[in-house]
Amino acid sequence: MRELLTTLSAKLQSREISSVELTKEYIKAIEKENDTINAYVHTTFDYAMECAEKADKMLKEKNASPLCGIPMALKDNICSDGHLTTCCSKILKGFKPYYDSTVWSKLKNEGAVLLGKNNMDEFAMGSTSESSCYGAPKNPRNTAHVTGGSSGGGAAAVAANMAAYSWGSDTGGSIRQPASYCGVVGLKPTYGAVSRYGLIAYGSSLDQIGPITNSVRDAALVFDAIKGVDINDQTSVDYNYGNVTGALTGDIKGLKIGVAEEYFEGIDPQTKTSVEKAIEFYESNGAKLVPVKLPVLKDSLPVYYIIACAEASSNLGRYDGIRYGYRADNYEDIDDMIYKTRSDGFGKEVQHRIILGTYVLSSGYYDAYYKKACILRNDIIRKFNGVFDVCDVLIAPNAPTAAPTLGYSSKSTVEMYMSDICTVPVNIAGLPGISIPCGKDESGLPIGMQILGRKFDEKTVLNAAYFYEKNAERAFDEYEGGVNL
Amino acid sequence: MALSKEDFNKLAVLSRLKFSDEEAEKFRNEMDDIIAFADTINNAVSGGTDDIKSTGTDAVLYTELREDAVKESLPNEKILSNVDGSKGFFNVRRCVK
Repeated sequence: MRELLTTLSAKLQSREISSVELTKEYIKAIEKENDTINAYVHTTFDYAMECAEKADKMLKEKNASPLCGIPMALKDNICSDGHLTTCCSKILKGFKPYYDSTVWSKLKNEGAVLLGKNNMDEFAMGSTSESSCYGAPKNPRNTAHVTGGSSGGGAAAVAANMAAYSWGSDTGGSIRQPASYCGVVGLKPTYGAVSRYGLIAYGSSLDQIGPITNSVRDAALVFDAIKGVDINDQTSVDYNYGNVTGALTGDIKGLKIGVAEEYFEGIDPQTKTSVEKAIEFYESNGAKLVPVKLPVLKDSLPVYYIIACAEASSNLGRYDGIRYGYRADNYEDIDDMIYKTRSDGFGKEVQHRIILGTYVLSSGYYDAYYKKACILRNDIIRKFNGVFDVCDVLIAPNAPTAAPTLGYSSKSTVEMYMSDICTVPVNIAGLPGISIPCGKDESGLPIGMQILGRKFDEKTVLNAAYFYEKNAERAFDEYEGGVNL
Repeated sequence: MALSKEDFNKLAVLSRLKFSDEEAEKFRNEMDDIIAFADTINNAVSGGTDDIKSTGTDAVLYTELREDAVKESLPNEKILSNVDGSKGFFNVRRCVK
């Protein structure tokens, strides 16, 4: 795949192009394509031009970061001071945060250029981005299909060359699955590797911020820029990664790849074949395949939905219409105002999850659901640890099929939940995972595979992905629209 | 387990959500399917383990605490910038009767 950031960075550093010129190209592309793709829900073009001017000054001095001057986007749940951030929900209508998330603050210091906020499922709850209050984004590879979700707008923006890279959040697959559907790369880092300060919370023990990029090397570059401990996020960890990008060699001789047959049960034959072929490619190039058993994968779905909804019902308790966002009209007293604000402001899927979360935490049901889910969660973690005692990475499909057609979320809620089977186990166990393209189906839609690894072992995960990207045949052509330099 | 009307109404109150009778009926039926899905946890293949950690992510060590020092807070006008027509306060209707 194109190592876009490396190419753009070289052009910017050599002054072949200025950040202002590059930013104008991206703005033009967004103005032209966004009506169709709906990848952006808020744009920050004036601010982007300010960032670009600052970046050009930084580029004139020596030692500018490789990300300096490069236009990018944030998911609509990542705060930046003074810019609309609404989680694609009516309840946060008009909300402008008054502080920067740690991710944006770090990128800003490196000279990044913010183009705007990307479309997503309301409060990141969904797998198609169709629950956005701004309407669904469309898959640039085929606009009759969904982008996946919840970071669907970010994946679409990168796939359609409307941002050089974007940031998403992954609670149950929300970076990896849309990256897979749109044919780009999505990295979900280890829980604790990246600060979530300024990420609007959904399921706090599962949420993780990560990048969506054009290539594995690009993902490593931006991961290097934002990883690390943060005093504002108590779950962030001071782990000594060193330089992850510098460790990309593409050497996989002797790499032990775990293959768990449970990951391939109920998977569409085209997806299954693509991922199996990729695994064979690794084997024929010197990796060692290790068959492993993970029957606990089946437990992951109910465990995930119970824990995520319990945490969501608590996290979303703060939306009362008093301090920010939407407030209902015509109410009798303060209680009535809160009820009406929440009932009008939250969409149906969010309400489902709040009610389910309240149910599993309520007296009489807590032990049967929430406590039991926590107990099982520890067992899932333990089983994954056991697997990584005998292999270095696991390779698995990202989703049971390629991107479904628009309207998929009108299917039954439970059917939607079931489609997350491939991605949620990693969030439950707090592991890192990357999604990279590995094929296409008969209609030309991208198919992705995920490479999963030990906690804080992003180096091995990224290197395994880098090998495939460098050496395997590309399954589909580059997207022709948007910015192409 | 199906949700009784009474239980559903209790959950709605705890969640601070209001439904018309018709909506409540529709929503309750949808919740039945979702709860039946959550019930599949009882068919778990794993026996589980009792040592529950607060986050379930056992490799994460919380080693650093923020210093207990007074820091400058955000200015009032910034905090109130999301409130329509604020006169220096968050505005709600009188709630003490």
